[in-house]
Amino acid sequence: MATAPTTYSPSQGLERRQQQQRRRIFKEEDWVRSDGRGFNQCRPAFLRTGAGNAASGSAYAEFGTTKVIVSVFGPRESKKAMMYSDIGRLNCNVSFTTFSTPTRGQGLDNKEYSSMLHKALEGAIILESFPKTTVDVFALVLESGGSDLPVIITCASLALADAGIMMYDLVSSVSVSCFGKNLVIDPTAEEEAFQDGSFMVTYMPSRKEVTQLTLTGEWSTAKINEAMELCLDACLKLADVLRSCLKEAANAG
Amino acid sequence: MRDLQVSFSQTQRVRFQSALQQLKDLSPGSGPAATVVVADSIPVNLEDSVLKGHGTAESDGQLVATVCGVVERVNKLVYVRPFRARYKPEIGDIIVGRVIEVAPKRWRLEINFSQDAVLMLSSMNLPDGIQRRRTAVDELNMRSIFEEDDVICAEVRGFQHDGSLQLQARSQKYGKLERGQLLTVPPYLVKRRKQHFHHLEDDGVDLIVGCNGYIWVGEHLETGENVMLEDQDNHMEKDGKSNLKLKGDQDEEGTFTSVETRRSICRIANAIRLLSALGFTLSLEAIIDTVELSFASNISVKDMLAAEFYVQTAEREVERRVSKLRKKA
Repeated sequence: MATAPTTYSPSQGLERRQQQQRRRIFKEEDWVRSDGRGFNQCRPAFLRTGAGNAASGSAYAEFGTTKVIVSVFGPRESKKAMMYSDIGRLNCNVSFTTFSTPTRGQGLDNKEYSSMLHKALEGAIILESFPKTTVDVFALVLESGGSDLPVIITCASLALADAGIMMYDLVSSVSVSCFGKNLVIDPTAEEEAFQDGSFMVTYMPSRKEVTQLTLTGEWSTAKINEAMELCLDACLKLADVLRSCLKEAANAG
Repeated sequence: MRDLQVSFSQTQRVRFQSALQQLKDLSPGSGPAATVVVADSIPVNLEDSVLKGHGTAESDGQLVATVCGVVERVNKLVYVRPFRARYKPEIGDIIVGRVIEVAPKRWRLEINFSQDAVLMLSSMNLPDGIQRRRTAVDELNMRSIFEEDDVICAEVRGFQHDGSLQLQARSQKYGKLERGQLLTVPPYLVKRRKQHFHHLEDDGVDLIVGCNGYIWVGEHLETGENVMLEDQDNHMEKDGKSNLKLKGDQDEEGTFTSVETRRSICRIANAIRLLSALGFTLSLEAIIDTVELSFASNISVKDMLAAEFYVQTAEREVERRVSKLRKKA
């Protein structure tokens, strides 16, 4: 063991060359995704309710290598410092574990994701049903494998349903990456790093309402239409998975 | 049932599952058809007038569920009974709660409701048992009655116009609970009864089954006339302030609980834990029956939460329900 080098890092040049090579691959018309999926194929989804005992509701989601756990607390009385309000409050917090990304960092609260999660959920929850109280949603990303936010949102809506909080509908969310002419659904972390643009939609399938839509990068109108159709269809199918998960939990006791 | 984390052996698993299956067969037809998840439409005949109850909403002329649960119908009313709901208080409920704050003229209690409950100083009996106006001195001495983190027992008095909950404790049986265990169970396992205070005389144990799913198992305390008289005597002897001190001395003398009683407390507490983990209704009969079963099969207190006793309890529940059905027929 003494002779083995303690650390190993590829030379800078090699890394850069590899990156360029990858970028070139993504520019091409046709390429194979790292996990062998088609461009219009989502990762297999695994969802379970009741991941934690202390929370009033919780859920665990695993989409490929993206693993998320969401706990919902409440409704519980709002802090005194807050003003009186006739409707309930929703408080969202997204955090990453220190080991969630390949580069080890500090598990920081992600402010941007927290506010996006809040925006995505607040339209679906019937806030009038719990005045003066707060519902806390805590999402923890155990492993970040791409499309984190859509997975967090989907998992959070499942956890809310598990907690017995009144909602208009379940929320499912899917994102699409754009590579030149290609649209790639449910991108992995690697694909997200090289994408030209991203598109995410959160959708309530039974009510046919979109609660949130984000668009980054360069898009043409035709492409947006195509991406939208792709996403809505995927959301619809994802909601069926959510439903069957809840049904299963209900029948188990 | 979901937090059941016991490692069964092969035979135990088979026995347990057959017991559960029997229970399922015995329960009167609440098939899977009646369960709904969020945004499922509930089939109703819209030509009849329908009253939309809790957990339902109308969307595109259809009745849809807003929570996961079981559809219940009472005449015209259609509502969804949620699976995992918080406690919903009703006036007159006996509840057990924990003091989280001493505020001016009131205590705030955590009672497993979506809001904190309020117990006003004026809506409880003073320790000396005299009816009078509460003075500023009483207000200053509030901490001598209940402090933060005390477990107390009270009754739901009513709701304020803003939806907050008021409690009252106008009897000797209510008040601070000491020397025992507080258990938390899902509130739907506790059914409202005539009697929520139980004194198990054989064991010298008090059992208070709070409607909010908080259950108190503690050493039996004499309440009622005797205590009150005694307190008054003390009051006569000395003036108000030293009375408090004297009460403290009494406490110190009385903190000894015999090993026997402590064992019974643990045994009853474990019986309740077991029943709630299995999802059986927590009636006094069921609890006592489980305790007796543990005695009969010579199971020690610590082994009550092991796999074997889980199976035995489930099988006993099957027997109990079968015999109940036979009696009816």
